[in-house]
Amino acid sequence: MIRRTLAITVHTFKECVRDKVLYNLIVFALFLIGAAIVFGRISVGIQKIILVNLGLSSISIFGLLMAIFIGISLVWKEIERKTLYNVLSKPVSRAEFILGKYFGLFLTLLVNTAIMTAGFYLALWIENRRFEFADLAPLEAVYFILLQFAIIVGLALLFSCIATPVLSGVFTVSLFVIGNFLDDIRWSGAHTGSVALSKFTLALYYLLPDVRRLNFISEAAHGSWAPRYLLVSNSLYALLYVTVLVSASVLIFEERELL
Amino acid sequence: MMETHKTLDSRLPRRGAWWLALALALAAQISVRWVSDSWADKNAEGAPELYIRSGNALKALSLGYTGLLADIYWTRVVQYFGSESLAHSRRFDLLGPLLFMTTDLDPHLIVAYRFGAIFLAEKPPAGAGEPRLSLQLLQRGIVQNPDYWRFWQDLGFIYYWDLKDYPSAARAFKAGSERPGAQYWMKALAASVAVKGGELRTSQILWSQIYQHVQNDTIRKSALAHLAALKARQDMDTIDNLVAAYETKEKHAPASIRDMVAAGILRGIPQDPSGVPYILGPDGHAQLSPRSGVNLRLLE
Repeated sequence: MIRRTLAITVHTFKECVRDKVLYNLIVFALFLIGAAIVFGRISVGIQKIILVNLGLSSISIFGLLMAIFIGISLVWKEIERKTLYNVLSKPVSRAEFILGKYFGLFLTLLVNTAIMTAGFYLALWIENRRFEFADLAPLEAVYFILLQFAIIVGLALLFSCIATPVLSGVFTVSLFVIGNFLDDIRWSGAHTGSVALSKFTLALYYLLPDVRRLNFISEAAHGSWAPRYLLVSNSLYALLYVTVLVSASVLIFEERELL
Repeated sequence: MMETHKTLDSRLPRRGAWWLALALALAAQISVRWVSDSWADKNAEGAPELYIRSGNALKALSLGYTGLLADIYWTRVVQYFGSESLAHSRRFDLLGPLLFMTTDLDPHLIVAYRFGAIFLAEKPPAGAGEPRLSLQLLQRGIVQNPDYWRFWQDLGFIYYWDLKDYPSAARAFKAGSERPGAQYWMKALAASVAVKGGELRTSQILWSQIYQHVQNDTIRKSALAHLAALKARQDMDTIDNLVAAYETKEKHAPASIRDMVAAGILRGIPQDPSGVPYILGPDGHAQLSPRSGVNLRLLE
């Protein structure tokens, strides 16, 4: 099973590279260098903070765009091009196919993020001409960004098994946006005075993906380190949530009529 | 072919296993969140924070949906004020910034100016105790909504109640009374408050205008009563000055107004607007006769 899943993972990664998605790295590099130069000239005292905020936000935004826009067509494209029948006619299960697709896109994002992080540290070095221990703090934020990608890829994959790319995109983006406001949703429900509404918003709070907890960018820009409990709980949370999403994707895809 | 499928099926994790994985992972992720939330609560600093304090920055970020965002921010103002009040807090640090951001986003959100001004001006724990900030908010509202006369009413009340600045309150009420659609009583308010600020002449002019322009008989009667009281107040001030002149001339205080007439200080016994003569009180100051129809308490 692992061998076959790995084969699909590698194939998905190669497909993404062939689709030139890594070209975004050039845009990222130009953007980061340009912004570092511009802000370095027009602001005083916060050049490094701006660079960290800008660098990490760019890593997050570029990665999220890739996760969403590639993820939503992962399964759909295979069905449309009828290449899925080729794959499934071989001794590959639908579950393996879904797992392979998931890991393939995540691998693409991992590589993309690794290169962007290297670019970010290069820009940081150009800015400061030296590295300090505190400069490692953004790595935690990058780790959290990767966890965020893991969830978003899972969401996009799940919707890709159900709906067209456009609808999948809408659903995924919506859930990402809502996932940034879960605290507010729960808080609002709790303050309505209605028990039913309060319970409903509490259920939403626990069921929808909490992506805000995986954003540590502004803290990292100030050189803060994530508390240990956050590192552990966020890792566990992402792992479990991805398990939910991938399991649901597999179950849906298993039931899906392909002809 | 059948054989292959059978092999595949045996390799496949059973569907039930996926369901189990889904259910367990779902339950586990909820537990993780619950535990980490309780940790986060322990480590939380408590005080809420505003990450963006510029309405213009928010405007840019709203991608044109400024009205909707203003509504959301206004809701946040209400929730923030309510929750701090319920917690008996005496500090409302975010109230001002939230209100200014709300009105930056939607400069015509009248409710935010009016209620916001009250929230800001009231003394703690009923409000933020920042009447100056409240005035700023209302002045911004007036600039953005020049035809809305009630902002002037609110402005006047804040000057009157919170700052005890009666002349400014009277000016605010008067300015508001000149806005289109302003209620007639705005002028009356201005007139009443002007007296409190020692501006008897302003008050007199305003009550005269009310008397001349208002059709309602009750209000006209009230205006007349106020004008009579104002006239009496002025008369008594004049008589008091003449008492001082009498004392200088005769080297003793007058026993009655008749003494002042006899000394040639007064040409006759002056009468109040109700036609009853003024009298000198035990303290030597002019006062109304008990028979007088003038109500001086209107000026209090």
